[in-house]
Amino acid sequence: MPKVLNKVLQNANKEKLFTASNLVVMTLTFLVFGLFVLIEVLSQTALSKLEKEAAVTIFFKDDFGESQILSLKSQVESDKRVYSVKYVSKEDAFTIFKELNKDEPLLLESVTASVLPASLEVKAKNVSMLSSLSDEYTKVEGVEGVKFFKDIIERFNFWRGVLSIGVGVILAILLFVSFSIVVSTVRTAISLRGMEYEILKLVGATDDFVKKPLIYQGVMYGGVSAFIAGLVYSTLILVVLFSGLLGSLGISELVLISSLAIPAWLFAIVLTLVLSLCGIFLGYISSTSAVKKYLNY
Amino acid sequence: MKKLPKENTQEIARVKDRDNSPLVIFQNVTKCYDNGFKCLEDVSFTINRGEFVFLVGRSGAGKSSIVKLLIREQTPSSGSVVFDGVDIAAIPHKEIHTMRRRIGVVFQDFKVLASKNVFDNVAIALEVTDTPKSQIKEVVDNVLTLVGLLDKSQRFPAELSGGELQRVVIARALAHEPDLLVADEPTGNIDPVSSAQIIEVFEKVNKMGAAVLMATHDDRVVDKLKKRVVRLEGGKVVSDVQEGKYAQSTK
Repeated sequence: MPKVLNKVLQNANKEKLFTASNLVVMTLTFLVFGLFVLIEVLSQTALSKLEKEAAVTIFFKDDFGESQILSLKSQVESDKRVYSVKYVSKEDAFTIFKELNKDEPLLLESVTASVLPASLEVKAKNVSMLSSLSDEYTKVEGVEGVKFFKDIIERFNFWRGVLSIGVGVILAILLFVSFSIVVSTVRTAISLRGMEYEILKLVGATDDFVKKPLIYQGVMYGGVSAFIAGLVYSTLILVVLFSGLLGSLGISELVLISSLAIPAWLFAIVLTLVLSLCGIFLGYISSTSAVKKYLNY
Repeated sequence: MKKLPKENTQEIARVKDRDNSPLVIFQNVTKCYDNGFKCLEDVSFTINRGEFVFLVGRSGAGKSSIVKLLIREQTPSSGSVVFDGVDIAAIPHKEIHTMRRRIGVVFQDFKVLASKNVFDNVAIALEVTDTPKSQIKEVVDNVLTLVGLLDKSQRFPAELSGGELQRVVIARALAHEPDLLVADEPTGNIDPVSSAQIIEVFEKVNKMGAAVLMATHDDRVVDKLKKRVVRLEGGKVVSDVQEGKYAQSTK
């Protein structure tokens, strides 16, 4: 193994320019790959968060009394589609309103608890049920109106899909470019060392002796560049998480890294590992196919 | 005399049989290319262990095809090429290297690496077998001494004459101590003085026990050595003469 690695490094050293350009292009590929993974993971996290927070809010008319509302609450709670129900009285609504508008005393002066409607916040077990629940509650007596996040979730899913497709297409193109680059590098190496391979054949070198350094060369390009991309993302994730930079910019709410299913540091390691394995795999299949196609041994 | 166990006597008999059998057997070998051109037709001959055989004939007679079949660059369309009891065409691809290590090959064009010095050009034959460095040094020095190039072991190909380059190739072919040394027009690109030196090396190697098959149309070399001469014409063996001469084999 060390001999093969030594040979791979010697070859890389002989072809410095090739090695550098391969690493740059493949690193770019895996940066996009990483971006794709991040978009998928973070948007999934965001969606879960949205779904968790998504609720149907049923607002009641002023003449619909608290006892009637609590009676309806019991009925709603017994519905198997419903995850939880929270009663927000006029006073609770006013408290929330005051908290939200604490910087606007004039507005607070003009509003009292009596003008705000009492409501029930109904969370569904599955976000897709919100729509049917909403339709049903609209028809209930005493209900003034029903609101829920239907549009937001649908729009979010739509743009998430568009973004995934866009990045996916770019990723596919870059993967193809990287594949082609490794293939042509190995092909060039084979033609440059034509005489060497002829001699190796004559002196009885094994298949592995000749092919392994070429295959490992592709594996090295893929593995190293993907590892670099993984390091870049890991560093970014950890900087975002620990520096408080985004918090100071006031956009910390937009960053979902802290909401991931696993700790962010673990996510960074897993991302680097996944990218590196994908890089090794891409390097392996590209160099193996180049060896199969162009090395007559 | 002490009686040997049965297994031992069987083993000795097997080794004796092997030693008495020819090293190379070409049996009714025909080689056709995809375009229908038949470069060899029903070729049969044998090469014994330690024998020196010239393969002569005009260009296109099939000499190089025989060399290529021997190192399994090509396989016969029909018939068989047997090396030390094994049908070469039947050797699995992954095992060919073991056979190639037993056959040293020298071509007309000097197959040397310009970026490596003489020592490294020869050492490459041993590096492929994971031979320890100390042993590589010993073997390379030995074969370079044999071909008379030990004093030039650190020189690069650009600093050597054609004859010297060919001797580097011969040294490399000898590194595995092959049973058979195959040479395809080894003196084709070099002057008469260098040719004589090369032939001297082949004779030495032959005396050390290796069989030599040399394809050539250099009549001076053939006539001087008075070895067995197999003549090919139009892909067929037309004569096979012991202690033959170039002209004699044409009759």
